[in-house]
Amino acid sequence: MTPRRSVENALLAGPLVLFLLAVLGFPTLLSLIYGFSETSFQTLTTPQFSGLKNFRDVAADPAFWQAAWFSLRFGAITALLQCGLGLALAVYLAPLARRHGWTVAILIIPMIVAPAMMGLMYRLVLHEFAGPVPHYLYSWFGWSPSFLGPANVFKTVVVAETLQWTPFAFLLFLTACQSIPEDLREAAAVDGTRPWRLFWKIELPLMMPTVFVALFIRFIDGFRVFDNIYTLVGAGPGGSTTSMSIYIYETFLRRGEIGKALAAAILLFATAFVVLAAAPRLLRGRSA
Amino acid sequence: MARLRIENLTKRFASQTVTQDVSLQVEDGAFCVLVGPSGCGKSTLLRLIAGLEQADSGRILVDGRDLTHVPAYDRDLAMVFQSYALYPHMSVRDNIAFALRTARRPEPEVAAKVAEAARVLQLEPYLDRKPAQLSGGQRQRVAIGRAIVKAPKLFLLDEPLSNLDAELRVHMRVEIARLHKDLGATIVYVTHDQVEAMTLATKIVVLRDGRIEQAGSPLELYDNPDTLFVAGFIGSPKMNFLAARSRGGHLMLPECSGQMIRCPDLRSALADGAGVTVGLRPQVLGRTGDQSLEGMIEIVEHFGSASLVHARPDGSARLLTALVDNGRDLASGQRFEARFRTEDLLVFDQAGQRIR
Repeated sequence: MTPRRSVENALLAGPLVLFLLAVLGFPTLLSLIYGFSETSFQTLTTPQFSGLKNFRDVAADPAFWQAAWFSLRFGAITALLQCGLGLALAVYLAPLARRHGWTVAILIIPMIVAPAMMGLMYRLVLHEFAGPVPHYLYSWFGWSPSFLGPANVFKTVVVAETLQWTPFAFLLFLTACQSIPEDLREAAAVDGTRPWRLFWKIELPLMMPTVFVALFIRFIDGFRVFDNIYTLVGAGPGGSTTSMSIYIYETFLRRGEIGKALAAAILLFATAFVVLAAAPRLLRGRSA
Repeated sequence: MARLRIENLTKRFASQTVTQDVSLQVEDGAFCVLVGPSGCGKSTLLRLIAGLEQADSGRILVDGRDLTHVPAYDRDLAMVFQSYALYPHMSVRDNIAFALRTARRPEPEVAAKVAEAARVLQLEPYLDRKPAQLSGGQRQRVAIGRAIVKAPKLFLLDEPLSNLDAELRVHMRVEIARLHKDLGATIVYVTHDQVEAMTLATKIVVLRDGRIEQAGSPLELYDNPDTLFVAGFIGSPKMNFLAARSRGGHLMLPECSGQMIRCPDLRSALADGAGVTVGLRPQVLGRTGDQSLEGMIEIVEHFGSASLVHARPDGSARLLTALVDNGRDLASGQRFEARFRTEDLLVFDQAGQRIR
C-alpha cells in the first residue's frame, strides 16, 4: 500500500475509531482499572491497585464457576434446541411461507416481546399458587410439576428461552432455504432424489453456513442471558439459575464487590473475544 | 431407449393456458426438438414430461407406462437444465455420481461410470473441482455428464446451448449430435434456435401459443410448411413474404408496384381478387427460373461460397433477400432480376394456412 493510500485510509477510518474509543474505550479502561484495584462504592475515585487479587478471588469463588457452567450449558442447549426447531420449521413451512408471506409475521411475534417482559409473564403464568398453568394442571390431572422449583427451574428457563428465540433461527433458515435456487431441487428430483435425501444432501449442506452463524449467535445470546431469567426467578434456588451476567450483577450491586465483579467481567470479555476471533476462522474453514 | 407418447396434454397457469391439447409421439431413438418463439409453451411441455409441472388433463406415456401422475423422482429420466443447475457444494465427480448414489448403486460401479462419462466429455482434469471453478462450456459438459451416467430411457434438454458463446455452441451442437448417435437414446430437446432444431433433430415439433403448429422431419418442415408461421420460423435466412391478390390465374403484388406473377396450381380455387401471401425462400431466388421479380440491389453480403442479395422490388417498402450461388459480380445499386421457378412458390391464405 502506498503512503498516500494509508493516509487516506486513516482519514476515512478515523471517525469510526474515535467513536468506538469514546463509546467502548472509556468503560473498558475504567473496568480494567477497577478490575485490578481494591474498590468499593465509597472509594470509587481513589481505587487502590491490588494486582491480581480480584482475579484470584473470582477463581476461588465456587459461585463463579457455577455461573460459568450454567451459562455454558444454557447457551449450548438453547442454541442447539432453537436451531434444530428453527431448521425443521423453516424447511417444513418454506412452501407455505412462499405463498402466504404473512404467516412469517405471526411466527416471529415472540421476538418482539422484551425478554424481561417475557420473564415476568412466565412468572405469572407458572406461579405455584397464582399461575393458571399449575392451577389447570391440578384441576384436570390432580398434579403439576413445580416449574420454578430447584428440580425443574433449569428446564423451565431453557424452554422459555427456546420458545422466545426459535423464531429468530427460523427466520434465518427460512431466508437461507428460500435462497436455494429452485432448479437445484428440480435437478435433484429428476435425478431420483426423494424429499428426505433432498434435505440431507442438497438443502442442508447449502444452508450449513447459515446454520453455523445461527448456532453461534444463539450461543452468545444464551451465554450472556440476563433479563428473562432475572425477572423470572432471579438467581434461582441455591443460585441454580445464576448466569455469568447475573453473577456479575449480583456481585457488583448486591454485595458491592466492584473489583471482583469487574474481574469476572474481564474474564467473560476475554473468553468472548477468543470465541469471536476463532469463530470466523472456523466458518471459513467449513465453507471453503 | 424409449418411446414417448403424449395424449391431449393441457396445462394452465392461473387463467392462462400454456399447453393446449398437445398430442405427440416420439419414436424410440428419435431426437425430437421442440421449437418455437419464447412463450410458446415448449419449456412447459418439457417440464410436464419431466414431472416438474403437473398436467391439468391428458396423459404422458413412456414405453406404454402412464407417468402423468408419477412424481419426478420416480420417472427415471434425465434432464439438462438451461442454467445447468449443478450442485454448487459438490465436486464435478460428486455431481456426476449423485444420481447413481441416489439409486444406491455399488461404489465401484459408480466410479467406473463416472470415469467413463468424464472420458467421453473430456472432463477428467476437472473431476475434483467445484462448479464455480469451471468455465461455461465445462459446466455444460458436467450437466450432460450428470444426465448420461444414469443411462436413462429418455433425455430431456432445456435450451442447453443458450448460455454458450457462438463458437462453443457450434462445437457442443456437434457433441450432442455425436452423443445421440453413440448412446442411441431418445432425446427431447427444447430450443428457440431453428438452426439447432434443423441440424440436430430427426423430428421437429413447432409450437405456437401452447399448440403444435406442425411436426415432422426437418426437411419436411422446410420443404412443406403447413402454415405461414412454420414457413417463417424454419429456414435461414428467413423466407420472403409478399402480399398478393388473385387476378385471373395470376397473382398481383401490390407492394411491388403491381408486378404480376403466374399463379401455380392451388389446392383450392381462389376467388378473383382474394388476398393471399406469397412465400419465396431466399434459396429459390436466383438467376434461373421461369418467372422473375425486378428490383434494385441495396446491399450484397458476399460469403464467398454464396452471396446474399438484399434487393428492393420496384415500388416496394420491404427488401427481398436472395441467396445467389454465382453472384460475385453483383453490387449495390445494380438492377437485379430475381428469377425463380413457379413450383417453388408457396401460397398461404389469409388465415395463414398453406394452399400451395
